[in-house]
Amino acid sequence: MSSWIDYTVNGIIIGNIYALLAVGLALIFGVSRLINFAHGSVYVVGAYAGFLAVTYLDTPLPVTIAVVVVVGALLGLVIERFGLRPLQGYAHIAPLLATIGISFVLDQLVQLFFKPDPRALPSPLLDIRFKVGSGTIGALDLVIAGIGLASAGLLYYFLRFTRLGWAVRATAQDRDAAQQMGVDVNAVNRAVFAIASGLGAVSGLLVGMYYNYIDPSMSFQATLKGVVAQVVGGVGNVPGAIVGSLLLGLVESYGIALFGTSYRNLFAFVLLVIVLVWRPNGLFASKRQTPPEPMTGTFIAPSKPIQIPGKVLAGAAAVAALVPLVFPHPYVLQTLINSWLYALLGLSLTLIAGTVGLVSLGHAALLAIGGYSSALLAINCGVPVGLAILSAGLIAAFLGTVLVFPSFRLRGHYLSIATLAIGEIVSLVILNWEWLTRGPIGVSGIPSLSLFGIELDTDRSVYWFTLGVLAVLAALQFRLLGSHLGRVLRAVRDDDVAARSYGIRLDRYKALAFAVGSFAAGVSGAITSHIYSYINHETFNAQLSILALTIVILGGMGNVTGAIVGSVLLVGLPEVFRVAAEYRVLIYGLVLLLLVRFRPQGLLGTV
Amino acid sequence: MPMLHRRLLLGASAALVLARGALAEPAKGEPIYLGVSGPLTGPNAQYGAQWKQGFDLALDEINGDGGIKGRPLAYVFEDTQSDPRQSVAVAQKFVADPKIVAELGDFASPASMAASPIYQKAKLVQFGFTNSHPDFTKGGDYMWSNSVSQADEQPLSAAYAVKRLGLKRIAVLHLNTDWGRTSKEIFNKAAKEMGAEIVATEGYLPDEKDFRSTLVRVRDAKPDGLMLISYYSDAALIARQVKQAGLKLPIVAASSVYSPKLIELGGDAVEGMYTASRYFPGDSRPLVREFVARFKAKYNKEPDAFNAYAYDTMILMAQVMRESGTDRKAIHDGLAKVKDVPSVIFGKATFDTKTRRVDGAMNVELVVKDGQFQLNESHAAVR
Repeated sequence: MSSWIDYTVNGIIIGNIYALLAVGLALIFGVSRLINFAHGSVYVVGAYAGFLAVTYLDTPLPVTIAVVVVVGALLGLVIERFGLRPLQGYAHIAPLLATIGISFVLDQLVQLFFKPDPRALPSPLLDIRFKVGSGTIGALDLVIAGIGLASAGLLYYFLRFTRLGWAVRATAQDRDAAQQMGVDVNAVNRAVFAIASGLGAVSGLLVGMYYNYIDPSMSFQATLKGVVAQVVGGVGNVPGAIVGSLLLGLVESYGIALFGTSYRNLFAFVLLVIVLVWRPNGLFASKRQTPPEPMTGTFIAPSKPIQIPGKVLAGAAAVAALVPLVFPHPYVLQTLINSWLYALLGLSLTLIAGTVGLVSLGHAALLAIGGYSSALLAINCGVPVGLAILSAGLIAAFLGTVLVFPSFRLRGHYLSIATLAIGEIVSLVILNWEWLTRGPIGVSGIPSLSLFGIELDTDRSVYWFTLGVLAVLAALQFRLLGSHLGRVLRAVRDDDVAARSYGIRLDRYKALAFAVGSFAAGVSGAITSHIYSYINHETFNAQLSILALTIVILGGMGNVTGAIVGSVLLVGLPEVFRVAAEYRVLIYGLVLLLLVRFRPQGLLGTV
Repeated sequence: MPMLHRRLLLGASAALVLARGALAEPAKGEPIYLGVSGPLTGPNAQYGAQWKQGFDLALDEINGDGGIKGRPLAYVFEDTQSDPRQSVAVAQKFVADPKIVAELGDFASPASMAASPIYQKAKLVQFGFTNSHPDFTKGGDYMWSNSVSQADEQPLSAAYAVKRLGLKRIAVLHLNTDWGRTSKEIFNKAAKEMGAEIVATEGYLPDEKDFRSTLVRVRDAKPDGLMLISYYSDAALIARQVKQAGLKLPIVAASSVYSPKLIELGGDAVEGMYTASRYFPGDSRPLVREFVARFKAKYNKEPDAFNAYAYDTMILMAQVMRESGTDRKAIHDGLAKVKDVPSVIFGKATFDTKTRRVDGAMNVELVVKDGQFQLNESHAAVR
């Protein structure tokens, strides 16, 4: 039984670390209603700022912490001023995308300055260890817990008893009303970003010292765990975030105890989904509290889409079809094939996120389901490739809808976080369900594309095939949007209360849209697997979910043409920037930021 | 076009000739290009950076010594972030570029193997020098690899752990990737055949940093030693947490941890860790001594495993081209013919033409002592 004491202690120690991240995220969300995807990047910057201070200035720990807080707070101010303030008044989706762009830029800058190699960040504390159970805890564990609790206490005091704190809370409750009462909401936002980023930076420093390890790519995982922890505790609830973090740590630790290390994250994300579905306001919200999330309509910017006449679209399709004849360079064709495949993913998400308002952050899971279904059907059951792709689309439509169905009662950000978790769960199930998916070894020898027994063995034929599939599904989606059904779906997005009072059964329409959308994503994943010939659990990773969302927002939510244009740009731009070698992701992030800044409703506008 | 690399390489090679007192005329004229597809950005960027160091060192040597029949050898490095979507595009780019005579990479299996059909169809050699996935060279007769096969390496690790160190109850921690999985299966099988028992097997994800609870699980299985199938960064993290958890167990680690970074990141905790390597700075082989000395002179640090793979690969490709010619088909045929190429990793490398891989990697058994990798002189023939 002594082992359970150890598992509990370990769970609390690691929860302690998550808490430092979650508190900052909770604060920002509480005030700005924003999942700050750049928080993990601030954490990385904090770790490296500490590294510089310790290595070159030889600072003692308190000074190092002070330096890191200042650097983090300044960075928070910069992010707020240049990344987010200009986007005020736009729908919430714009700042969300801006934080993604900012995190690209920051991570890449750190990588360019400090090289991608991991570095040691030694802790200056004496290595005193206390025996707890049969393991030990060190001085740094206590410092981390102390800083976590102290910052939570200070925040509590600040929010309850200071004027600026009141202003923060007033702004969190109702921004417009606060502004009318004379609260300087910009000052509030600045304060919140400075405090949260200072905390985020310190957590990077402490975690770096804890593991004696920092590298520029640790930001995504940090954001992910911090988001999970704060949602479990109740979005925007600072004390809740701490308890949520500890709970997350414990669940992970017990999960390892019961099932083994490779199930760790599975438990974390299952916990998240259960909490979201069961108590969407987090474990510590009183039930009567109204959901703090605004109606879905304000999550997505209403705008006037650019009308493109049907003739122009048909002409563009014809031009696209002629490319292989006029300019048959295989590299260009391959890049366009990739664009068409991601445009299919974009079609899927633009319907689900744009037209119905379910902003999914786990869309890569549908690609994976489609890819694995088609590959395994073709290899294990000898199904012809064309039929396997079609079946994979249907399987993705079915599984995708079933998995997300319980989350349909959630709105806005909550649904996004649930889909993020479901996406991770699917990837972890693929990793662990070895007899079916072959685990990390992956599926190799997937037959190449063929239709009715004819091999598509030239770049041209693959190009025309993917373009054809895209054209058919895009045409169907246009038809859908123009129909009565399309108007119902938009009604669900714009005002679900009103829609329900007109007798629309929300769940059914959401499920219908999700199924149609998932079909396109499943087909895209299936075709991809036949082109690649080898896939494993890493082929369709979480970065692709972010890419899918970027494509959709860039093109304009719900906009079919926009999804295709967005895909061509986002798949094509990194290729165009190839000349810039190591700098290309940086440029990509900057271009993304500029697009969000000057065209937040997307290039072609929301439909 | 990344002109940057080309200019740099030519400049560097010219500088080296002066230093070495030119054995042959330095290479001149239009270079011969190899395409490299690998990560320069993204989470695996560190490995791409290590490749470059190994390549550049080898090119200094090759081009200072006459290049390929008088023409300099160079490479075009295209960043793919080790992402299959980008590696297939890069593959098409290389395939369509008549200047590219062979391709090296990609880094991870999903990216490499997704691009294989394109290279195979276009009959351009894809040389996956870090691709130990057992199915990589099954992609077609244009897929070749001098990556150390795990079927080759893991029985050696097992022999070290079981026969030399006398471990009887081993707990295995492995990266849950295609490499880690394959290695684990082979290691476990070999260790069992040698009479040891595998009491726990735990797979962890590459971005995992916390191993405390995993180690409780391991401890409860009552092992008498730990085997780590890890990269240096995770091995350092695990070793530190083993120490913090108060576990006093000998740790054996796969040769992939052989890097100065292991000691930098692990500090005291990796003291006493056993590992193996394909080469060692104090090696008696002159080839290795020269490689290590020149690497230190150029980069002011010790080379690690990935530096050595990249260096070996460039030397091998140069030899193939010198012997068999520089068109795509000649390189493909030449790989089958080339014999006993001097190699840091293999001593002498010759391909098995059936598997298109190289067998018989060198093996030195090391231990970390006084903050350095040292030959393990003790423990000779325990039990």
